[in-house]
Amino acid sequence: MTTAPAPVREPSWELPRSAIGLWTVESAISTVLLWLGAGAFLLFVPPSAGGPVPVLRWLLPTLALVHTVVAVGIRPWVKHRVYRWEITAEAAYTRTGWLTQTWTLVPISRIQTVDVTRGVLQQAFGLATVAVLTASSQGTVRIWHLEHAVAQRVADDLARRAELVRDQAT
Amino acid sequence: MTAGPLPEARRTSRRIVLVHTVTFKQARQLVPVLIPVVAGIGFGGGVTTVVLLAVAITLVSVAAAALSWWRFSYADGPSAVVITRGLLSRSVRTVPNDRIRGVEVEAPPVHRVFGLVRVRIDAAAGAAGEDEEVVVDGVPRAEGDRLRVAVLTHRGATAPDAEDGEAPAEEELSRWDNRWLLYAPLVGSYLALPAAAVGALSRLVDEIPGDPLEDLFALELPAGWALALGVAAAALLLLVAGSVIGAAVVNWGFRLVRRGGSLVAVRGLVTRRHTELEIDRIRGVSVSEGLGMRLVGAGRASALVTGLADAERRGQLLPLGPREEAWSLADRLVDDPGPLVAHPPAARRRRIVRAVALGLLVTVGGVVLGVAQGHWELLAAGPVVTALGVLLARSLYASLGHAVGPRSFSVRRGWLVREQTVLERRAVIGWEVRQSWFQRRDGLATVTACVGAGSGGYAAVDMSAAEVPAFTTAASGPWADTMRPAG
Repeated sequence: MTTAPAPVREPSWELPRSAIGLWTVESAISTVLLWLGAGAFLLFVPPSAGGPVPVLRWLLPTLALVHTVVAVGIRPWVKHRVYRWEITAEAAYTRTGWLTQTWTLVPISRIQTVDVTRGVLQQAFGLATVAVLTASSQGTVRIWHLEHAVAQRVADDLARRAELVRDQAT
Repeated sequence: MTAGPLPEARRTSRRIVLVHTVTFKQARQLVPVLIPVVAGIGFGGGVTTVVLLAVAITLVSVAAAALSWWRFSYADGPSAVVITRGLLSRSVRTVPNDRIRGVEVEAPPVHRVFGLVRVRIDAAAGAAGEDEEVVVDGVPRAEGDRLRVAVLTHRGATAPDAEDGEAPAEEELSRWDNRWLLYAPLVGSYLALPAAAVGALSRLVDEIPGDPLEDLFALELPAGWALALGVAAAALLLLVAGSVIGAAVVNWGFRLVRRGGSLVAVRGLVTRRHTELEIDRIRGVSVSEGLGMRLVGAGRASALVTGLADAERRGQLLPLGPREEAWSLADRLVDDPGPLVAHPPAARRRRIVRAVALGLLVTVGGVVLGVAQGHWELLAAGPVVTALGVLLARSLYASLGHAVGPRSFSVRRGWLVREQTVLERRAVIGWEVRQSWFQRRDGLATVTACVGAGSGGYAAVDMSAAEVPAFTTAASGPWADTMRPAG
């Protein structure tokens, strides 16, 4: 099992540490919902019911436990290592994902609009997402979870430079 | 709203009121209201009620058609097309000329009887999901052509300068050959046509009181194999004939010509469609061959045009024909990037592993079912699934490929419909490189070229990870070097 080098280089800049907190809270919320579901199953489905129920009675809590450990204890830190971004003279470049990684590159000359969005949780952590949109439905670069002031500066800078060097943009 | 003097507002032809009355265009929206009304009154009154109802519906239809004609006007100025409509709440829509990406003139059968056409102006809308089309329904043929030429000329593109479509620089790129209809039974979308017709018919049969189907089955029929064979043969015949007829209706008299800076496609037996594409906006061509089409060497070609609404239909360069014809068209519009490079053997192994895994799953399921319940059929299916899966995997792998030329590049994928897309370098407005955990282990990656045309992205699936930086730079521009690993 040789691990080949990555196909393309990693973007230079990492996200702020507070992104880990945000991801942990997000995972915690989904974990609570999962445990509520599993608990409801154990409470309301009688063990005497036939079929797969006896198996499910221990399988569901096990899965919920695995999910808890992975989503809260491991994934936020892995994501923080994977999620990276960079704005160069010519392009916006990001890496996202954790098991499956995705690198996205958009040249500044093809940028159509730049959005800054702040979700409820993001606001609590003082973070924001910069979305760089192009004429292609698939060519969207999202820089997740930047500090709000940084996100605003990046968006303004990208929009201004896109205006200067815009070619056909399609 | 517009700069400069407001152009003269024009109206559609009065005859459109008749067309819409006959086709119940506006009145159709009332159908959901009418059904409960009819159900309430019932047909108890016999003939008088039916006649009254017919008269009422016709009157409503006339009134609705007349109102919408009365409240509709359009104006094509030097900078924009302005459409005014709406009964109570007036809406004025201004489409700047430089946002117009194509004009289509179509003549449905009823319109033809009255000498009218429908002009569709395709405008690039800001947001997705917004209605991107402006329709001027019901102008005389000559006015339709004038409008098309006027809009395209104002846009500043090299639109035809002659008045009536008889531009001097006209070059025919492709012309329909009726023998191509024979390909139709092997194309999925045309095969679906008779099936849809049968579906509609069966719904109609459901509406008829009593049960005609049951009556049909109650008939004394020769039993057994003869009947089954007869039904199968009839169904097959219906399917073949239906698909050929369907293809003929849609594509009859297809002709693709280059006129100045535009490509003009004309087709259709009942509704003549006249679609115009600007060559400057074409970013690539995709040639697709379905499973059945590959057996007989057929193909279809469509242009990938930036910002074209309903691109599937409008971008068609060759709806159905020999694959050589499709490729010769593609080569005239976009440079040939050369022969495809096969993807690494690891890509084939990935597909075979998936197929074998599925086969194993079925086999294990078969063993469990056999031991638990004594049914061994599923176990027998296991090896069959595996064998078919491996064949499919090899064929899937064979269709993968990519190529880079000096001015263009190409990617190919797909088994059920194998699609090869040739794109210009300037078409690329971004790259997406994706690598799953398994792909990382195998040294593969999927590279998607983001394009503001067609489906938005075209992927080279499972190419060698080491080749990715060279491919992206060669296929787009030096800006893609941003991704090249150092050293």
